[in-house]
Amino acid sequence: MKTLKISVLFLSFLFLANVTTFAQEITALQVIEKVYNRPVGDDMTSNLKMTLINSGGNERVREIKQFSRDFGKVEKRIMFFVKPADVKNTSFMNWSYDEEGKDDDQWIYLPALKKVKRISSDSKGDYFMGSDFTYDDLGDRKPNDDTHKILREEKLNGEDCYVIESTPKDEDYMYSKTVTWIIKDKWIGLKKDFYDEDGDLLKTLTVNKYKDIKGFLIITNTEMNNIQKNHKTVMELRNVKINSGIPKSKFTERMMTRGI
Amino acid sequence: MKKIILIMMLAFTYTAFAQSVDFSGYVRNYSGMLLGNENNDFVILQNTFNLNIEKKFDNSAFKVNPMIYHDYSDSLTFRLREAYMDLYFDNFDLRVGKQQIVWGKADGVFITDIVSPKNLFQFLLPDFDEIRMGVTGAKFDYYFGDNTFELVWLPVFTPTNLPSKNSLWFPKMDFMIPPTFDYSKQNITPSLKNSEVFAKYSALTSLVDFELMAGYMWDDDATMFSSLSPKPTGGMQLTLTPEHKRLSLAGGSFSTTVGPFVFRGEGAYYFGKNFNTKNPAVNNGVIEKDYIHYMLGTDFTLFDIKFSAQFIQKAIMDYEDIIKPNNLFKDESNNMMTFLARYSTLNETLDLEFFTYYDFEYDGALMRPRILYNYSDAINLQFGANIFLGTEGLFGQYNKNDMVYGKIIYNF
Repeated sequence: MKTLKISVLFLSFLFLANVTTFAQEITALQVIEKVYNRPVGDDMTSNLKMTLINSGGNERVREIKQFSRDFGKVEKRIMFFVKPADVKNTSFMNWSYDEEGKDDDQWIYLPALKKVKRISSDSKGDYFMGSDFTYDDLGDRKPNDDTHKILREEKLNGEDCYVIESTPKDEDYMYSKTVTWIIKDKWIGLKKDFYDEDGDLLKTLTVNKYKDIKGFLIITNTEMNNIQKNHKTVMELRNVKINSGIPKSKFTERMMTRGI
Repeated sequence: MKKIILIMMLAFTYTAFAQSVDFSGYVRNYSGMLLGNENNDFVILQNTFNLNIEKKFDNSAFKVNPMIYHDYSDSLTFRLREAYMDLYFDNFDLRVGKQQIVWGKADGVFITDIVSPKNLFQFLLPDFDEIRMGVTGAKFDYYFGDNTFELVWLPVFTPTNLPSKNSLWFPKMDFMIPPTFDYSKQNITPSLKNSEVFAKYSALTSLVDFELMAGYMWDDDATMFSSLSPKPTGGMQLTLTPEHKRLSLAGGSFSTTVGPFVFRGEGAYYFGKNFNTKNPAVNNGVIEKDYIHYMLGTDFTLFDIKFSAQFIQKAIMDYEDIIKPNNLFKDESNNMMTFLARYSTLNETLDLEFFTYYDFEYDGALMRPRILYNYSDAINLQFGANIFLGTEGLFGQYNKNDMVYGKIIYNF
């Protein structure tokens, strides 16, 4: 059985604010906070496809149907695994709390065992379903977990960007630093470099496509390239629906076992 | 002409049905070789076809799960593991038919997980979904918030399926005199009076998940009633009459997280369970005692290796020395543990696993190292060993059955 833990708001870093330009100079922390605090829809439904490509060019595909809803103090998310066949009908549920210091609650349903198991959300450095994304990469890392500085401003893919270097306050964190290209005014992280504990470039996250859905800019295609392992993961979001009114009862043990 | 139209209609119906019904499952090749004898016998050369046929509607669903085993002797064994229909309502669901029901928080041991009986045709070696057998009945689930009340009614009793007498896995039995068996009282006729009933209340909360359960059931394992009689030719004749007796039990389980640790517990109290006595002539060789079975366990990750450990104890209340030890009970309390370590690498395409049961009473163990490799998204390869340690008890009795095996599994 694959590891199927996630402690995060899946692809939440893709939701971005429509914020007006700043008349005055902005600090690095403010830029990161604008990305972190962007307005998002109350709920989202989408199909996620991950294509894992190894150094030989061989591909493996994972497909997930996912639902999420913000209940104010808690965001609930439920994911149903569609492919590959050996994890089909597996489901995963995550409750993420606003309360400072409160860990996520996570459960996984394994259809072969017919059992919902509670799992720990502590291992955020684990890789998600064998991809190049760790659970933490997919999450909403809090701005105050790092110290930030603006390295420069430059164009990337024709967009004006701030280039922000973020250094974790926790010395044991899995990355020594990250460098992010954030589009001015749109507050999208367009590219992000991850450096390992020795300070060497480990991975690069690239945004290939984003689009406006119901007034929210949503990145629908990203690519994480592990430079050191020569392995990459392409992540695509399809059939995205925002504010469709997902019922509260969707995020329950009943639905985990019933499936989609 | 009418035949042609009928065939066309059937073909159309089948095509429409096949397009909307979900088919999944696997084909598996499984080969196992004994290490404990001189010839290194291939005791398992098996092909398996497992098919899940499922269809979901808005307010209902059905599932049929046939499974076919093909052995080297060219024999075919067919099992219908599940065949049920679901009806969904606003606050409750109803499932009717043959179904597997799984309760509790323990892994690899059966404490409150007693609704579906076990198929021990290959001891505890198959995957747990193959060990667990479907039961015929109805399951009702009522939901309120994150709480569930479940009621199970089984009009048909399904006992534990034991290995055949010539199987490697037939359990060892010790008798003073070679017995004869009288199977006349073993069957339970399906009827309202003979039904089994189980109830469970469970909740899934931020702090803790828990279950409370109770059952009025038949003991899945038959009690061996004995009688001694003089033989016409001299000496004594021991006759064993297996009979399933009623059991009442109550229990519960919980699971919670503390930082990186998951803590789990599960326990059940049996109000009267039959145990065999040393003297088969007294009270038909049977005594009834209350009995408790519980587990405490934890799961955690260290150095990227996932660990799981469980301590399990069974205790016979108001114990008496006349109770006859067997493979499961040596004396008043019997302690066991399980341990699992699993390491995933190469983007989760390669898994190294070690699982073991250890029986403290008989100093016996079953060790199960295993390598799992995802050759592709559809094809999984497994190589492993089953090593039995000790000379008696649940695991030691099989110390001649050490085995290495390989599996090729195609998932679809």
